Amino acid sequence: MLPFSYALRNLFRDPVRLLQTVGGSALVVLLMMTACSLTSGMRRVLGATGSPRNVLLLGAGSEENVERSEILPSAAGIAETSLRGISAPLNQRAVSPEIHFMTFLEVDGFPRRQARVRGVTPKAFLTYPGVRILAGALPESGEILAGRLAWRRLNLPKDLLQPGARLRIDGVAVSVSAVFAAPGTVMESEIWADLDDLRTFAKRDTLSCVVLRLGDAAFQDIDLFTKQRLDLELSAVRESDYYGRLAEFYAPLRTMTWITAALVASGAILGGLNTLYAAFASRIREMATLQAIGFSRAALAFSLVQESLVACLSGTLLASAFAIAFLDGRTATFSIGSFILEVSPGVALTGLLTGSTLGLLGALPAAWRCLRPPLPEALRS
Amino acid sequence: MIRSLPRLAALAGKQLLRHPLRTGFSAAGIAAGMFLFTSVETLQRSLRRATEVAAADTTLVVYRENRFCPATSRLPEHYAESIRRIEGVREVIPIKVQVNNCGASLDVVTFRGVPPGDLFRYGPEIKIVKGSLEEWERIDDGALLGSQFAARRGLEPGDRFDAAGITVQVCGVIQSPFPQDASVAYVKLPFLQQASRTGLGVVTQFNVRVESAALVEPVADRIDEEFRSASEPTATRPEKAFFAETAGELIEIVAFSRWLGLGAVLAVAGLVGNALLLIVRSRVREHALLRTLGYPDKAIGFLVLSEGALLGALGGIAGVGLAILLLNLKSFTFSNEGQSLAIRADPAVLLTGLAAALALSLLASLWPAWRALRSPIVENLRR
Repeated sequence: MLPFSYALRNLFRDPVRLLQTVGGSALVVLLMMTACSLTSGMRRVLGATGSPRNVLLLGAGSEENVERSEILPSAAGIAETSLRGISAPLNQRAVSPEIHFMTFLEVDGFPRRQARVRGVTPKAFLTYPGVRILAGALPESGEILAGRLAWRRLNLPKDLLQPGARLRIDGVAVSVSAVFAAPGTVMESEIWADLDDLRTFAKRDTLSCVVLRLGDAAFQDIDLFTKQRLDLELSAVRESDYYGRLAEFYAPLRTMTWITAALVASGAILGGLNTLYAAFASRIREMATLQAIGFSRAALAFSLVQESLVACLSGTLLASAFAIAFLDGRTATFSIGSFILEVSPGVALTGLLTGSTLGLLGALPAAWRCLRPPLPEALRS
Repeated sequence: MIRSLPRLAALAGKQLLRHPLRTGFSAAGIAAGMFLFTSVETLQRSLRRATEVAAADTTLVVYRENRFCPATSRLPEHYAESIRRIEGVREVIPIKVQVNNCGASLDVVTFRGVPPGDLFRYGPEIKIVKGSLEEWERIDDGALLGSQFAARRGLEPGDRFDAAGITVQVCGVIQSPFPQDASVAYVKLPFLQQASRTGLGVVTQFNVRVESAALVEPVADRIDEEFRSASEPTATRPEKAFFAETAGELIEIVAFSRWLGLGAVLAVAGLVGNALLLIVRSRVREHALLRTLGYPDKAIGFLVLSEGALLGALGGIAGVGLAILLLNLKSFTFSNEGQSLAIRADPAVLLTGLAAALALSLLASLWPAWRALRSPIVENLRR
């Protein structure tokens, strides 16, 4: 075997070429890590939003989209009194009537923004136990709760959605009473308003949905209830299934992210392959000499792979450092919410695998070309 | 010198063929970059077509004031009669819009419910290219599909499909000059009102065609004035301005794609530059020999530039061609809030893509060509 120092010294024989390889592989790895972080973040936020213990009662035929759904306001009360086995912390049954409403939100000095407003009652805190008030107090009429990432989703300065801030929904002045957190869910990008206030803004009598948190009851019990009460025209959907379907809806966007990253990365990969080919091709005689003094082709190939791996893994290290410094913790937005980008173990592993694959696959064909010629021919080249 | 240019270009071609692997890698990388560039450019041009108001535009959209989502814009259908009476209005059509999801994504299904007799009166330019109008008028759950939507889903007259909680039978496929028509399914208004449970008499919007472009603004003002004190006030805008405000998320995504286009351009330039630097480096002795034989510096420079241009042309044709083929075959549609953006590549995209590939390759070849000229002959001959 050739010593590791031989591979290392060879790398520094041409610093420009080394810089090209390290820079190229860093770019490819960073692109893959970004794509992975974006797509996994999108999937994670939708996955975390839907709890398998929560069931949505939606209007029949509107199972795909809660904004489109309309159910009778009496459905919440009927479900609460008719169903057994609903979770009841503090003797309050976790049945939350809600209106999901898309409307314009206006803040002085900024163009109006499209906002997702959820009309809730205090019972919403029973169905979403992860929701916590970070600052301020529970809202009264004319007040709203702002998710801690709503400012990012609405593209507004953060301080404009803090307790005490004033804005207009549907032309009506409201003030922010509190900021809430619902870690890792799309709710953090929403505005929550009093259900009755939202009924007035939206000029609607119907609800969008009723959310139930299961205690001893099974989903089938709720499903059976909707099938027995045909007059209510309800459909029961597990919240996790609802958001699972939403994640499917956004699958083409995730695919586009991967394809785009792959297309840009392919330029760097093919450029890197060209560079490695040129680097190894100019060393055919050197490799032949080493063979002549007794080193096997396998040992030489191993050394060339080592050389390429060191360069590509250095690029991976560079990309990982960049990702931790500039990607981790940033918020990204998509259609229904914002999420925090994470350099999770999965993302880091994707980077490491990309870097290693680049190092291996980039070196092997070039090494094959370099070591394939018969010894006398290679020595004369 | 000028007479020898074709021969030098042919020599550049031969040089590329002598290194098929390197040429293949470089051309493939350029093709990938130009594929992305063309896709982004198509997206941008499609958006410009959908949002840039032209002087001849005469269509207005009447929507519920302060609303942008089809699920929340609810206007009484009887507003149509009042709008029709306004001076300058040529035709008005009430539309109920139903989508499977309001978010911005591909493959969104948009139903538009219209009074059966009004569709062709409002848009006499709409033509049925497959199926029959009689069949659509005869059955309650019939649908006329925009050509792009039918192609995307592979639907033909006689097929049934369901989306957004509604099941319909395809009666025909339409071709329309209105961009929004390409990706929708037209159904009868009463059918959609009942199927969507909003109830009879409620619609999402009115599309209004005015007599002349000069009347667009005055008529929009008159309509909003008419319903200012009504229970459901309206906001009336030209169709393209309405699209620009409503499909905000979609526009954000398309705007972001500009950075991807820039990334693609940089990747192509970097790749060509890298490939040519390697070529120049591996051909130091050969170039020195040519210069010794009397070839002027310009000829050597032209040789390097030709190789760059040929690589650019090769990768450009492959990348741009593939992108246009895919975009036109797959009939992609980007939708948001019931507004659809049909992504169609036009001949201008083809020309822009090819010109960009060539220009980028030539630009990226300048430095390697300069390096080839500046290297000392004697030293290079000894290598």
